[in-house]
Amino acid sequence: MTAAHNDIRDILLSRIEKSDNPHEVMRAPELKSLVTKLQGLPPEDRSEAGRSLNALKQELLQAIKNREVHIINESVEPIDITAPWDINGLRPQPLPVAQGTIHPISQEIDIMSNILQRMGFQIFESREIDDQYHMFESLNFPDGHPARDDYDTFLTVEKDGQGNPFIAPAHTSTMQNRILKSLKSHLENDLPIAAVAIDRVFRNEDLDPRHEHTFYQHEGLYVGKGVHAGMLVATLKTFLESYYGKKLNVRVNPFYFPFTEPSFEFSLSCPFCSSGCSICSQTQWIELLGCGMIHPRVLNMAGIDSDIYTGFAWGGGVDRLVMMKNGIEDVRHFHSAKLDFLRQFK
Amino acid sequence: MKISLNTIKELVDFDLPPIEELIEKINMQLGGVEEVIDLSQKYKGIVVVKIVHCTPVPDSDHLSLTKIDDGGAVQGIDRDENGLVQVVCGAPNVRSGMMAVWIPPGHVVPSTVGDKEPFVIGSKQLRGMMSNGMLASSRELGFGDSHEGILEIEASELSDSQIEIQPGTNFAEAYKLNDYIIDIENKMFTHRPDCFGVLGVAREIAGILGQKFSDPDWYWMLPQFNSAEGISLDVFNETPDNVQRFMAVALKDVKVCQSPLMLQAQLVRLGGKPINNIVDITNYTMLLTGQPTHAYDYDKLRGGSLGVRMTRPGEKVELLNGKTIELHEADIVVVDGEGVVGLGGIMGGRNSEVSEQTSNVVIEVAHFDMYAIRRSSMRHGLFTDASSRFTKGQSKLQTDRVMNYLLQSIQDIAGGEQASAVFDIHKTDTTYETQSLSGPMKIESQFINQRLGMNFDNHQIGKILQNVHFNCNVDDGDSAISVTAPFWRTDIEIPEDIVEEVGRLYGFHHLPHELPYRSITPAPINQKHQFKQKLRSVLSLAGANEVLTYSFVHRNIMEKSHQNVEDAYQLSNALSPDLHYMRQTVLPSLLDKVHMNEKAGYDRFALFEIGKGHQKKLGNDIDGVPKELEFISLVMANGSYYDVKSTLEFLAEKLNISLEYHVVENNNIFESKRSAQIVCAGKTLGTIGEIGAAVRHGFKLPNLTSGFEIDLDLLFEATRLGTKARYRSLSKFPHIERDVTFKVDESLPYAHLINVVHDTLQSTNLNFEIGPGTIFQADSSSSKNVTLHVRLTSLDKTLTSDEANEVIAKVTEHAQSVVGATAV
Repeated sequence: MTAAHNDIRDILLSRIEKSDNPHEVMRAPELKSLVTKLQGLPPEDRSEAGRSLNALKQELLQAIKNREVHIINESVEPIDITAPWDINGLRPQPLPVAQGTIHPISQEIDIMSNILQRMGFQIFESREIDDQYHMFESLNFPDGHPARDDYDTFLTVEKDGQGNPFIAPAHTSTMQNRILKSLKSHLENDLPIAAVAIDRVFRNEDLDPRHEHTFYQHEGLYVGKGVHAGMLVATLKTFLESYYGKKLNVRVNPFYFPFTEPSFEFSLSCPFCSSGCSICSQTQWIELLGCGMIHPRVLNMAGIDSDIYTGFAWGGGVDRLVMMKNGIEDVRHFHSAKLDFLRQFK
Repeated sequence: MKISLNTIKELVDFDLPPIEELIEKINMQLGGVEEVIDLSQKYKGIVVVKIVHCTPVPDSDHLSLTKIDDGGAVQGIDRDENGLVQVVCGAPNVRSGMMAVWIPPGHVVPSTVGDKEPFVIGSKQLRGMMSNGMLASSRELGFGDSHEGILEIEASELSDSQIEIQPGTNFAEAYKLNDYIIDIENKMFTHRPDCFGVLGVAREIAGILGQKFSDPDWYWMLPQFNSAEGISLDVFNETPDNVQRFMAVALKDVKVCQSPLMLQAQLVRLGGKPINNIVDITNYTMLLTGQPTHAYDYDKLRGGSLGVRMTRPGEKVELLNGKTIELHEADIVVVDGEGVVGLGGIMGGRNSEVSEQTSNVVIEVAHFDMYAIRRSSMRHGLFTDASSRFTKGQSKLQTDRVMNYLLQSIQDIAGGEQASAVFDIHKTDTTYETQSLSGPMKIESQFINQRLGMNFDNHQIGKILQNVHFNCNVDDGDSAISVTAPFWRTDIEIPEDIVEEVGRLYGFHHLPHELPYRSITPAPINQKHQFKQKLRSVLSLAGANEVLTYSFVHRNIMEKSHQNVEDAYQLSNALSPDLHYMRQTVLPSLLDKVHMNEKAGYDRFALFEIGKGHQKKLGNDIDGVPKELEFISLVMANGSYYDVKSTLEFLAEKLNISLEYHVVENNNIFESKRSAQIVCAGKTLGTIGEIGAAVRHGFKLPNLTSGFEIDLDLLFEATRLGTKARYRSLSKFPHIERDVTFKVDESLPYAHLINVVHDTLQSTNLNFEIGPGTIFQADSSSSKNVTLHVRLTSLDKTLTSDEANEVIAKVTEHAQSVVGATAV
């Protein structure tokens, strides 16, 4: 880089600093002279000179951008931040009340938690970054267990104290161990542990109309003396009958989860039809959630004696309930923030 | 897991219920049935025929004109005077006298079943000669890749079958292809390696039907192996921790060729693909027992040896699928005297593949560590029938039985004879003596009944378990049952596993539906959860729309918001760059959603979200997990600072708190001169303001866009403390209203004036309200006029006008002395 080049640089930068229309500087004759000079150079020197000319242009453009922001900022009039409105201004116009909405998933979580709360369940929320202990270990998924593969869990680059990546919870069951520990005193007072965690969960899936990497789950827990699998079925049936406002048939199929034994898949008779419809794929049954008797190791890891106490747990989606109820065709609408979508849910 | 109903029928010694009933049972007691395929539809109408005449077609180098005998089985077809049907065939192996398979006109070629447009064979002219239907090759029948010639039926092969093969025999019936294929969800069997073999599924089906299953002797009995000689084979295991059992044996003089059609059909029914007899037998054995096995060409094993060890640096292997992979030191490999011949438990190597030229083979049956196989499988992206079974952890106690079966089957089908000892390398432990992976477990019927809500006695429990070969000692003298799991069960570890077994085999649909009995103590309320619901309802009343946006952001969203990307937690396995970071705060996600809504035709609107954020600089909670922040954030398009402030003031009123607005410096998103810190009772809750020019530019926001971002936990805390007295007694006396206009310096904050007025009125014992009137400033003036609307009420008398004026005078006097305001 030549001294002349440096001089021109300084001149142009200071001109930008003072200009009200800094972009003009890019058309300065000094800059043109550098270009002309470049063309006159012997070919072997041209590439290096070209590089430094480009670097100069980039530097000027950045300075112009900064200056432009500065000009806008300078032109901004300060306001009295404590006033209710601006000087000589009018009272702010509120947005029309009628256009306000609550997200359909929040509305559904509200409805579900209300029913469960009335049934005696305490509502919990979950985390968005958690550790592998709560995602897997505390739920009886040993390290390297193939069942871990079913969860397509997002991992972070950052590590926990054990050197394992943190995770974005793939189920609200991450709260089981914490809830059991925090409500253990109930058992000592001869009260059951009854809790539901409802929150956002994540799975590393590609998006399509039926798959989202971000969705919502509710996870119920009930622990006490003499709690058996029939009570699980009855509790879910009662909840769903209240939710749908009608009598339903329910059934359980055996399933496998590491954190329950026995484990079930729970289905209900389609609440939307009596003879088959598109929601139930003409089967009149809807597979709704997974559930089971809490694995004794899960209880023990929370310090609960599984010989004295037994319990059940279930976990199911929220999004799907909203989709079925409203006939929503594409799960991606939920996180689209499209007002066209949101304002339909008054 | 695909199972064949006909295979199940062969394995059980009782009659199965009708298919619909069986499916229902499997669904309820074994696992979700994903699909039921009626295989007989695929082979519908296809018959075995005899080729009676076969003559070359003139002018063709490969076509033959055949007359076939279908025993008159097919109706409505042109026949010659002898009742034979004319078919033109291009296969090189067609000849008179052979038995073949004929797809009559009007029927679908089986290999095209399931295609978009299944191919229906017709009758057509070929070289001027009518050809009716077609003589089928293996490929057309869906039996593999070979279509070098038509499939030849060896009638003798079925000599022990009840069905006699003759012209007109229904092909599907003869080869048991009149079958139902039931596909049961694999996930169900994650902990049931035995059910990855049709034998295991058959046993379960017996169990759920309340029938005792009889395992075949070769599986049930401990085998006795003979020693043999003829081939020098050296077998070794250098990694006994990862390969708990390694068995191998050599056979000589086998004849490798296509499998008998019946074996091919069996494989096809179980979802396999015939290759050659040796490979088919190893695959069929796996499909039957769940135990993967492998055969090597002995003459390709260098040094006549076969063993397992961990990978050494720099090793590679070319696999049977043709791909060469670089091995990792944690991969278990099968090796010969010189190098790698297979990726253990996942796929064999090309260099030791059994081919039609093979005459001596070594067969391997082993137990590989499920975790090691899983890691190798994921590392190389190889998911094979073998790996999916090994990763469930096959029982090491079945290895010898499977070896015995395989050895016998190969000799029966491919000839040859055992030519070495049967090597069996394993560490001995007590499970080999007890022949069970879990020792006897004592379990009380009450333990089971309590967890199922049932009322079984010991004998009922014993019978249920014995049907699937649990060894149950129901001793009347002892209240507990002693239960020992059979050798193939790897999943029985604790008494609860027995509870599951009993409940499932008996049927969970019999469980009594009974609600838990609970006390009327009310469940504690989650106040924060309720608080959030309140925020949502208040902001929606303010005309705002709640959105949910991802907790993940693209780095450019942080950059556009002038956030430090380094401070964001990063996802390591997200595919899309949109998901690479966990967001630090919520507002940037909202800013990102304004432009698209504006483009969709919305002009003035507000989006809000309650969501979490994470910042590395905040470190971890006491729990050892990253500290989580929660925000309530809002953005208003085409809204000023004051528009958003009035929304926030509305929220504050509904939450019954008072907010102050303090000057803020250096903020990233907001324009410094038009934004404020939101303060409640001395605590900063968040920031409110107009979005700065550079940020607006980055997100393509309208020129006037404002918003706020508030720490939800701090707001919740502030609300719980409550900063405002809620109620003041009503007065029986009328009020007096006064408009007071103050002339103040243009720089005087409005709040300062209000505070003086407020404090003054506070000292009067009057009920009062102060409402804003107007704020006026003339051009070129350095002062502004603020008009306040004051309403005064006394609790104990009717205020006179003079008394009111006196109060106002006191107010203006104070305003003069404290903030230099002049009453106008």
